[in-house]
Amino acid sequence: MLNKEEVLKIARLARLNLSENEVSVYQKHLTRVLDYITELSKVETPKEAFVRHIPGDATGLREDSVKVFSQTEALLDNAPLKEGQSFLLPTVLEQE
Amino acid sequence: MNAIDKYESVIGLEVHAQCLTKTKMFCGCPNQFGSEPNQNICPVCTAQPGALPVINKRAIELGVRAAIALNCEVHETSVFARKNYFYPDLPKGYQISQFEKPFCTKGKVVVRFKNGDEKQFGITRIHFEEDAGKSVHASHGTTVNLNRAGVPLIEIVSEPDMRSAEDAGQYLRRIHSILKYADICDGNMEEGNFRCDANISIRLKGDPKFGTRVELKNINSFRFVEKAIEYEISRQVDLVENGEKVVQQTRGWNSAKGVTELMREKEQAHDYRYFPEPDLAPLVIDSKWIEKIKAEMPELPDAARERVKQAYGLSDYDASVLTASKELGIYYEEVVKGSGNAKSAANWVMNELLGRLNAASIEIDKSPVSSKHLGSLVQAIESGEISGKIAKTVFDEMMTTSKDPKVIIQEKGLVQISDTGQLDAAIQKVIAANPGQTADYKAGKVKLLGFFVGQVMKETKGQANPAMLNDLVKKALDK
Amino acid sequence: MDITAHTIQSLLDGYQKKEFKPSEVAAAYLAQIKKTNGKLNAFLQTREEETLEAAKKLDAKMSEADSLPLFGIPVGVKDNFLVKGWQCTAGSKVLEGYRSPYTATSVEKLENAGAFVIGKLNCDEFAMGSSNENSAYGPVRNPWDLERVPGGSSGGSSAAVAASLCPASLGTDTGGSIRQPASLCGIVGIKPSYGRVSRYGVVAYASSLDQVGPFGKTVWDASRVLEAMAGNDPMDSTCSKSSVPSYTKTMESFSLSGVKIGVARSWLEGVDPEVKKSFEESLKLMEKQGAKLKDIELPHAKYSLSTYYLIAPSECSSNLARYDGVHYGYRSKETRNMDELYSKSRGEGIGKEVKLRIMLGTYALSSGYYDAYYMKANQVRRLIQQDFEKAFADCQCIASPTSPTTAFKLGEKTDDPLTMYLSDIFTLPVNLAGVGGISVPSGLDSKGLPIGLQLMGKAFDEPTLLSIAYQYEKLRGAFPLPKGLN
Repeated sequence: MLNKEEVLKIARLARLNLSENEVSVYQKHLTRVLDYITELSKVETPKEAFVRHIPGDATGLREDSVKVFSQTEALLDNAPLKEGQSFLLPTVLEQE
Repeated sequence: MNAIDKYESVIGLEVHAQCLTKTKMFCGCPNQFGSEPNQNICPVCTAQPGALPVINKRAIELGVRAAIALNCEVHETSVFARKNYFYPDLPKGYQISQFEKPFCTKGKVVVRFKNGDEKQFGITRIHFEEDAGKSVHASHGTTVNLNRAGVPLIEIVSEPDMRSAEDAGQYLRRIHSILKYADICDGNMEEGNFRCDANISIRLKGDPKFGTRVELKNINSFRFVEKAIEYEISRQVDLVENGEKVVQQTRGWNSAKGVTELMREKEQAHDYRYFPEPDLAPLVIDSKWIEKIKAEMPELPDAARERVKQAYGLSDYDASVLTASKELGIYYEEVVKGSGNAKSAANWVMNELLGRLNAASIEIDKSPVSSKHLGSLVQAIESGEISGKIAKTVFDEMMTTSKDPKVIIQEKGLVQISDTGQLDAAIQKVIAANPGQTADYKAGKVKLLGFFVGQVMKETKGQANPAMLNDLVKKALDK
Repeated sequence: MDITAHTIQSLLDGYQKKEFKPSEVAAAYLAQIKKTNGKLNAFLQTREEETLEAAKKLDAKMSEADSLPLFGIPVGVKDNFLVKGWQCTAGSKVLEGYRSPYTATSVEKLENAGAFVIGKLNCDEFAMGSSNENSAYGPVRNPWDLERVPGGSSGGSSAAVAASLCPASLGTDTGGSIRQPASLCGIVGIKPSYGRVSRYGVVAYASSLDQVGPFGKTVWDASRVLEAMAGNDPMDSTCSKSSVPSYTKTMESFSLSGVKIGVARSWLEGVDPEVKKSFEESLKLMEKQGAKLKDIELPHAKYSLSTYYLIAPSECSSNLARYDGVHYGYRSKETRNMDELYSKSRGEGIGKEVKLRIMLGTYALSSGYYDAYYMKANQVRRLIQQDFEKAFADCQCIASPTSPTTAFKLGEKTDDPLTMYLSDIFTLPVNLAGVGGISVPSGLDSKGLPIGLQLMGKAFDEPTLLSIAYQYEKLRGAFPLPKGLN
């Protein structure tokens, strides 16, 4: 069973604020799923086997030619806060 | 023995260079800094839901160019990976980079020192990644500008082969020079288009083990590289000498205070959760493509040095100084073109110009004297229009005003006097004003010739043609 | 005949005979949505004015109807597709109010083929779920029984077509999110081969597994939509450049005679007996037409659930990092620093199941666990892929039930994540292998709830897969629609 600290550590890495109640729910649910998943350790897998999911004839590289996106406004309009042409964060302070 | 001499420093550099492409790494937005924030953005580089990356072919070609120029092994298959971390300038919440399988490894670069020594430094790897945006802190908040987000970068990671701040400085200059010669990066450090982090540790001389290393972030000028590293080395030596331990941490260079400062401890180190970027197929660079890129490679610094040496009959040392950077090489060749004299051009560029620029910490591309102007100054000397001495006065003026030397010569009436009649008149004047010395000369004190030449120079405000003057004075006195 | 009772095929026929105009069709469906959606909660957004305007533009092009394969067809779009000007919430509070700045390639291709968007459809948050109970905008109800779930995550898309609120809809399928709800709602749903349809403009859940697909009342209808939106997209590096054959043209003349259909018997343990019975009957029907059944083994398919719940959450933990309250979407009001802005915005904006998967993935990718979890899962995934490659060397398609049960009741499986995950055991391997799959209704159980047959085909062999499905559908005969909604 994952302990509380482990759950909090994962939540912190994922930047998810959890309530007390959520911590114990996820402790239970994460453990439940992870316990199930351990069955994979029994499967013998060749070392070099790694899936390639993209078809071999997929879109290749792009030529270096400019394609201007004309509606930059539409991008800024979705911002929770903006100032002029910039996304705006509240007076925030220390970053890591 | 000085405490510091007991230790050896071990330094490795990580250089981030923006690629000179027209568009960003994974979208068609222009790779340029608009004056307005957030002009060069689109759904992809702002990480809108549903947006996907598509690799810029040109960026890959420039990366391969760097790999070739730095003698790396290019891998046929490499893999893009996501580096996950939260940062306001990183809209996706991850940076697309390369991790386990970079596109090239095992390179090397040879660096020449002033004393003629050569050292070879290893390159561990080069990989592709994308730049982040920029945020600006203001009193009412932080504004985020994503114009730079997604600009292609190559990261060049060196082996921990450097043993002094000077090594590191010279290595960095060399990388800078190669990337600029090859048109991979514009090298602008002020704008952050070329950046450097350093890993520094110390150990007792002869100790095979590495010490605990400190990462020094974002050193943004050549001037600071050596200073910052020197400071950090002495800080570590002081710690160890005082019985303390060097702690693994990330530090930043504070150029105002001239010290390195703690940014974060190892415990706060990120867990980047790298994994292969599922939105991109592995990158394939086949030998045919590499050959094509090789064929299109611009002239590299070594080739430029050899060519300049041969073409202008310069010494090895002069040729390597004059091709130390691409701008300088171009500058020099333009002076040659304008002046018609390669040797004088070399002297003027190396002795006069570089001396002044270095003293004032000005890069060649910011030189107040343009190559065209310096070319015509040297040409004016060569044609006898002005004397070498006057030329120095003109050059002083050029350094402060950036004016065309011809204009300065005109305005100040500095044209050399080579007209015999004019010179004779001045000589007669001097002879008339110095009857005593004239008599002494005639009595056999021929050494006084120098005195008369000097006086005539003074009389002509230094404009007399020195090559003619001796003969004319002698003739006049001997009459 | 009531317009909303039409299939795509009959609508196209009606347009050709000038029986109605696109604007009349649009109005009829919008009226139906108004009348019925309250009970189902399938549509999250309609824009009557804009939709009618788009339809009217098509009215003027009636003469060109022939050259447009989806002329005048209203399409419902899952709310994780971006359609310029429309909202796109992906069923999450974190994207509440987000207006799409651009249009997904798949939708654009449909519009170019003459279709128009009738509305945005409810779904499990970020396409994570098997019952549509994870939507921040309330659950969708199954039109066959309003106390039951429509399946998920594309529950709105399947319920809307089943209830005739639109003749076709789009969904996404990462582990069964098209096929399972199609099965539970008694309609057809296709998950094409990975790379067949562009993912550009579709909110990513798990990039290496996500695929866009259509829902329709018939195999022909769904195939028609698929062939219009499949094909290369220079904006999607995972999208195949291979040409798209016309699926609908070849399916009619296809014969089941001699077609080898693989069945993995060991898979069928634990399947609801009524579902199993329907499955066996479907096989017999095809056998009668000359299809040959072949016992096959997919020895690693049993690890699909474990494999999937490492790979999908890992990718999702990264894909969903962008919902951090900085550039768009929900931002928590009270934050003292950057870390709080992220954690609170995400903590308050993201729902329960999505948080669970983000944490699972974060854990699986974190330092020290990567090899044992993410890496291992990808190696097992390769073995599953190889199982399918081997099987397809000897048969044209593989058959299974789509879902081990018929529609379950709301709240029945919400307490334990694994119980819910198990409803996708037949659909997950298809995504892991990257091949194509389709769910076709095969019958009703004793409660009158639809049962689905899943057919799986070789990667990029949609022509064969869809033809087999079409021929099966013909053998099965007409399938009822849910009653008593109006």
